[in-house]
Amino acid sequence: MGNGLQGGAFVLPRYVALGAKNLRRRPVRTALTVAGVSLAVAVAVALGGFTLGYRGAIDKSIDMLGFQVMIMAKGCPYEAATMMLKGGTGLLYLPADTYDQVKGDPDIESITPIFIGVAQKQGSSIRDDAPSSSFSVISGIDVPSYLGMKPWLTLKKGPGFAGGRWFTQGSKDEVVIGYEAAEYEQRKVGDTYYASITPAGKPDAVMHEFKVVGVLDRTGTQDDGTVFMPIDVAREYFNRPTQLTILGIKLRQFNAFKMREFETRWLKLPEVQVVGLQQVKNTLVNLVATAQTMIAAVAAIAVIVALIGVINTILMSVYERTSEIGIMKALGARRSGVFQLIWLETLMICLAGALLGSLLAVVGAGLVERAIKALADLGVSGSIVRITPGIIGYAVLGAAILGFFGGLYPAWRASSMRPVEAISKGV
Amino acid sequence: MTELLIEAHGLKRYYERGSETVKALDGVDVSIRAGEMVSILGPSGSGKTTLLNLLSCLDAPTAGTLVVAGRSVAGLSEDELVEVRRGVLGFVFQQFSLLPTLTASENVELPLMFLNRRPDAKRTAEILELVGLSDRPDHLPRELSGGQMQRVAIARALIVDPKILVADEPTGNLDKTTGESIITLFKQLAAEEGLAVLLTTHNTVFGYEANRAITLEDGRIIKEEQPACIPDCARAGEPRG
Repeated sequence: MGNGLQGGAFVLPRYVALGAKNLRRRPVRTALTVAGVSLAVAVAVALGGFTLGYRGAIDKSIDMLGFQVMIMAKGCPYEAATMMLKGGTGLLYLPADTYDQVKGDPDIESITPIFIGVAQKQGSSIRDDAPSSSFSVISGIDVPSYLGMKPWLTLKKGPGFAGGRWFTQGSKDEVVIGYEAAEYEQRKVGDTYYASITPAGKPDAVMHEFKVVGVLDRTGTQDDGTVFMPIDVAREYFNRPTQLTILGIKLRQFNAFKMREFETRWLKLPEVQVVGLQQVKNTLVNLVATAQTMIAAVAAIAVIVALIGVINTILMSVYERTSEIGIMKALGARRSGVFQLIWLETLMICLAGALLGSLLAVVGAGLVERAIKALADLGVSGSIVRITPGIIGYAVLGAAILGFFGGLYPAWRASSMRPVEAISKGV
Repeated sequence: MTELLIEAHGLKRYYERGSETVKALDGVDVSIRAGEMVSILGPSGSGKTTLLNLLSCLDAPTAGTLVVAGRSVAGLSEDELVEVRRGVLGFVFQQFSLLPTLTASENVELPLMFLNRRPDAKRTAEILELVGLSDRPDHLPRELSGGQMQRVAIARALIVDPKILVADEPTGNLDKTTGESIITLFKQLAAEEGLAVLLTTHNTVFGYEANRAITLEDGRIIKEEQPACIPDCARAGEPRG
């Protein structure tokens, strides 16, 4: 009789095929175990995607501010950070002469004054205690210096937006609105925009009527949700003629040393804080660090539960196949062969879970993002969950490590069985 | 003189059960040559399966000498026994023990995976033809009869080209006609392929179809018979075990 062909290299795929067939013998149990792993992986991938996406969104949002340093009224650094990026309702104001004092600083390349106020949307009766979505963020700007900081701001063209332009400085009834604000309010060039503004120190809101003279292209930043008007007009309507919200500053040389020098120089002004980009980034990252830690803890628990599930499933499978394993050993399987088979089955469950979990995370990224944004004001616009091939690669690697360790004990149990006893148990 | 494949002297297998020592096998001498079919008979608990396990290197003796295919087996560890079994011994079990998710041909080729050998479809087909299953290579075990499953199990044992075919109660789950056909196949394999066939059975009729029939009782050989010496009443089909 002739022997089978020698072919060690062909053995691994056969072990994989046999392992896959073994797993299909208990499809419901296998599916549930894979589902457990996939949930853990999905949480981990979503968390990784959120960490990466959020940092990217912060970087983008801050870069799109156009300036490196801001001078604003002293207050909570978290509020300052979110105000920079999203506007805000707890606004603090600087004396307008701060601009005159600072603009002559030799390290400043350019500077723009900004006044931010919050108006109630048309028809809204909700006031300060209402959610921010009931408000419009009004930004009073000096167009030339503002566009000098943000040269990428362009006016939308096309049907309904033809003839769009920036308002003339001093015009009291013209506004330019950001892309999302225009979408939300269903406004085009030439339309009327109403804003109900409560002047400082006055009890009642005053309804103002504006003409939309331009709509901005999408920028993916806080500007998309903002309504712009001339700075002096905004200050007048909000009854804060001698106040500013922010001074946006671009330095000639921007580094830690220059920043420290500049900060030290202007901290002498009362009621002023100098905020650098890095500081804002750190603040925003800190804002979600606790949440991230909690989610990571949940993911870790999910991974541990999944690991226990995998070990349990494979152990049950080993016990059920005791006789079969004994037969395999009788047929010539070494300990290593049995170990390899059981271990591969564990690995396959984990890898299947990793792929399914990654798919779930990718598909569910939008939902996760909406959920996160609904739960917390993260102070950034644009996508905050970014699942990259690298993250999925790490997830698959992590699942493989999970399978590697999860499979050790069941595989060891199976490979240690004595064939005589194993065979007799199955009879 | 044909090759001596199994030679055992003073073979003992004792178990400890609490404070009691169970003498499952208590000093057995056996020798089996290539091309010889030997049956082990005896009542339940007589030590048939214990002897078979020892002679097929599935278990290690407590005492005695045992040489299988030229290798001394006594005192070998579990891992060393595997090495003796690999490619030398083929196994057939009462329960057939086929993997339910594998087809007949995949079951047959299974041991090759453990021996790091690449399956050869032509060779698999030859073996299936030898056991009379050439028309069912792609059938799953659940699609086969008991006799067909046992033939697949025999083909699985033969695929590694063993020198010794070990069968533990191979006809135990089969009807008389199917059992006869399996025994006929064993005789054919011994006579034509030169295999040493070692089987246990409760059925003395099938047992006496062998070249030699060894009868055990209480772990000892009480009788060793040649076919020519077998009484007609036994041949007529009265189980004596």
